[in-house]
Amino acid sequence: MNPADAVELEQMRRQLQIFADDLRHIVGEERHRRHESEVAFRELQQAYQDMVRTLAVSAEMKDTYTSGHLDRTYQFALALTRRVAPELTAEPTLGYGYLLHDVGKILIPDSILNKPGPLDDDEWEIMASHPLRGFELVKPLRLLGDAAMVIRSHHERWDGRGYPDGLKGEEIYLPARIFTVCDTFDAMTTDRPYRKGQSIDDALHEIDRHAGTQFDPEIAREFLALCEERRPSSTEELAFVR
Amino acid sequence: MADARRVLIVDDDPLILNIVHTVLDLEDFSVSTAEDGETALAAIEREPPDVMVLDVMMPGMDGFEVCAAIRASEAHSTLPIVLLTARDTPEDRQAGMDAGADAYLSKPFSPLELIEVIEKLLSGTA
Repeated sequence: MNPADAVELEQMRRQLQIFADDLRHIVGEERHRRHESEVAFRELQQAYQDMVRTLAVSAEMKDTYTSGHLDRTYQFALALTRRVAPELTAEPTLGYGYLLHDVGKILIPDSILNKPGPLDDDEWEIMASHPLRGFELVKPLRLLGDAAMVIRSHHERWDGRGYPDGLKGEEIYLPARIFTVCDTFDAMTTDRPYRKGQSIDDALHEIDRHAGTQFDPEIAREFLALCEERRPSSTEELAFVR
Repeated sequence: MADARRVLIVDDDPLILNIVHTVLDLEDFSVSTAEDGETALAAIEREPPDVMVLDVMMPGMDGFEVCAAIRASEAHSTLPIVLLTARDTPEDRQAGMDAGADAYLSKPFSPLELIEVIEKLLSGTA
């Protein structure tokens, strides 16, 4: 190698060394920035979930006998969704829809919500407006997206005799079909002031009996299979199946 | 975001152009490059940058000549210019300042230091 080439090579080497130092510095800063934005993202997501939960709980608290219903149905529905359509659980959004399913009850008068006896026709009509009212209420929460349809459609029936839209079969948003099984099961097995809850076996039998009329038969079957697998001894245990 | 600040980098070594381009991208500069003085002068006419980084030792017009040509022009006489040179002697420095450069970095140089110099020039604190 002639001396001029050697000098140029040495200069190039020194230049590359400085580039490498700069690169290490830049990578360090970027890693720090990435870490900070991940922390901020998690905090934001947690804050959103806290807000959703607070909103959902405030609806639940109006309904005196449903203590624990919210978390149980939420966990049930997520477990069943992971089984039926796992891709839907990739984002927490659907879970928000499940948590908020009864948010419309905020707008139902306590006198109707907690009436000890049966509701008259007018009262029933007001009560049955909670899915639509809830749906309207959460409309501004853009992050919910399609999950808002859980709120609207969780009282639809597979045979088309549900409310508010009278949708039928697969017209009903899939997660709403999933949720309604879990919601009904929990309602059946929960003690009410005027009646004791059914046993789990009786409730499972009811779910089976209404597969194809009230419930999507395939989802009802998956629900029964899920319960069979977990062999729960109480609703409480079933609530925390994963 | 405000309009990106435009930087024109002129160097006959594509390696230098590539790396400086990348680092400036990271800082949200809008970067264009030229590999010789004539191309650089044409680029300035087409799309005037906010600041220019100019290598001294290039085939054809060298950096001093390009710098002097810009200072002598009507439209771009106040364009901030950073000179890059392989030699770091007081004479070089003087030649650069005589040609009208605003700042001067000797090679090998640090792209991060170059960014600091550019930021200073653009904020008018140099």
